[in-house]
Formats: sequence, C-alpha cells, structure tokens
Amino acid sequence: MSNTLWLAVLASAIGTLLLRLVPLLWMRRRLRQHDGENGSEALPQWLGILGPLMIGALFGVSLVPRHPDALSWLATLIGVAATLITWRFTRSLGWPIAAGVAAFGAVVILAGLV
Amino acid sequence: MSQLAASPRPWLVGLREAIPLLGGYVPVAVSFGLISVQAGFSPWEAVVVSTLIYAGASQFLFVGMVAGGAPLWLVIAMTLLINLRHVVYGPNLAPWLTASRWWPWLMHGLTDQVFALAHHRLPQLPEAQRLGWFTGAALLAWASWIAGTALGAVAGNWLMARWPLLGEIMPFALPALFLVLVVPRFTSWRWSLALGSSILVALLCTLAGYTNVGIPFAAACGALCFYLVKADTARAGGDDE
Repeated sequence: MSNTLWLAVLASAIGTLLLRLVPLLWMRRRLRQHDGENGSEALPQWLGILGPLMIGALFGVSLVPRHPDALSWLATLIGVAATLITWRFTRSLGWPIAAGVAAFGAVVILAGLV
Repeated sequence: MSQLAASPRPWLVGLREAIPLLGGYVPVAVSFGLISVQAGFSPWEAVVVSTLIYAGASQFLFVGMVAGGAPLWLVIAMTLLINLRHVVYGPNLAPWLTASRWWPWLMHGLTDQVFALAHHRLPQLPEAQRLGWFTGAALLAWASWIAGTALGAVAGNWLMARWPLLGEIMPFALPALFLVLVVPRFTSWRWSLALGSSILVALLCTLAGYTNVGIPFAAACGALCFYLVKADTARAGGDDE
C-alpha cells in the first residue's frame, strides 16, 4: 500500500472516530450545564426520539436477506416469529436470538433438502 | 437483571451479552477480508483497515473505490459520509455514561450494533458497572471484526466453499438482535407508528439499493410520524404518551 493510501486509511479512521466522539463530548458538556437534571431529561427531545428510531431503521435494513427470493423471505418471516415468541416468554436477550437463528437456519436447510 | 447487579465482573457480562453480535459480524468480516485481498490489498493491510476504520459498510466502499482507482479525497469523503449516521449515537448514550476518561477512547467501538445493545442495556445497569460492561461488549465486537477479517483474507475462499450455509444462516443473528432491542419500545400507538414506519422505510430503501442513506432517512421519517401523531392528538385534545 502506498504512503498516500495509508494517509487515506488514517484520515478515514480519524474522521470516523471524530464522528462518534465529538457529538458525545458536546452532549456531555450540555449535561454538565444542566447539572442536577435527570440525564435523559437533559437530552434534547428530538435526539432522544432518534435513538430508538435508528435502531428500528437498522432492524429494517437487516431484515432484507442477502438473496431476497421467496424462500429467504419465508425463512426471515419464520425467524422473526420465532424470535418474537421466544422473547414474549423469556424477556431475555440471548434465547430469542438463538431461537430466531435456529428457526431461520432450519427453514434454509430444509428447503435445501427438498 | 438482579444477577447483573451482583456480578463482580461487568466486563464479562458485557462480553457475554455481545456474543449474539458475532453471528452478524464474523461472516461479514470474513467477506470483507476476502474482498480486500481480491481487490489487491494484502491480508495484513485488510486487518489494519478493519482495526482502524472499523465501520462495516464504509470499509467495503473504501476498498472498492480504491480498487476502482477513485481519487483518494473522494474515497475519504464517501467513507465519512456513510458513517455520518454515527453522530446520533454518542449523545443518546451520554446520559448513562460515567465520568471516566476512558469513554472517549471507547467511542471507537461505537458501531451500529454496539450502540443498539448499549442503548438498551446501559440504563438498566448500575453506574459502577457501565464502563466495564461497555468495554467488554465493544472489545469483543471489535476483536471479532478484526479476527473475521484476518480469517477472510487468509482463508476466505476455502471457508465459503466448505460451509456455504454458515454464511447464509448466521447473519440472521443481527435482525434477531435488533428485533429484541426494538420490541420493548412499542409502548404506545405513537411509538408503534413511528417505529413501524422507520422499519418499513429502511427496508424499502435497502431493497432499492440505498441502505446507508436509508438508515438516517428512515429514522427521520419515523420522527416525522412521531411528531405528526402528537400534532394530531393535540388537536383532538388527547395525549398518547
């Protein structure tokens, strides 16, 4: 890799770190100015709303299968249902994910056998 | 969560709770390692890119644009543009971060998935355990990304040929994780509508090929729904909070 390419890697890395870091520092300063207030109350409302909505958007993006054919969508649907049902009963983090992956994988493997 | 309050090693809890991330990280990192080598990068150069930039989609773009001979200023600009959505993450976690000087450095590990996990878990943890928990979770995710890249760069072709279904099945851990993190947020019609529209718009954007722009755009659409419902209920004299 040439020196200029290394510089590009470094610039991208530092830029990405700053995108993650600077808004945090700004918010921490704001929180200090609102000293005594509950942390989540000092968060601007629009920002507090965007957090969960970004997670929702990440869920929407991740739902699309790598090869979006009928089988993959069916496996996705069944995987989502298995995740939801397991979450409903366990209210935990790990088991619903394991159940979802197992159900998704079972559909993919069974379809491959047929 | 009572067992967490009694846990003497919060970093271990963070490590354990980040394990589901591996299902999504490792296959994608293996693909990145493989693609980097095919694009002319050496295995250790691919590992350095993963270690330093550590942002999935933008790394693929970085390698692709470099291989395609794009000007480097454009490569940097596009990489940062894709990662622009990360500006929302830090402020959303800030209310739950302690005064430690380590937090700014740990922001290197604030990826989409780590943010989603931390946004859900940090408020539930006692203050004294948050730094350890985040360190454990973020370091496992980072290490798995680096290790996956190395594996892909060195043995990606062989792995894909040997276990083709593994790369197909394991990434479902990510939507399952996001689902578990987002479901408890469906607490009212207003939130359900906002989250539902955010999910749907993001899904449609991805199908249309606009994944990275789609994430902030979908969140903005969800926020618009959130405020429109508020305006509507305010006019009707109701309150749906």
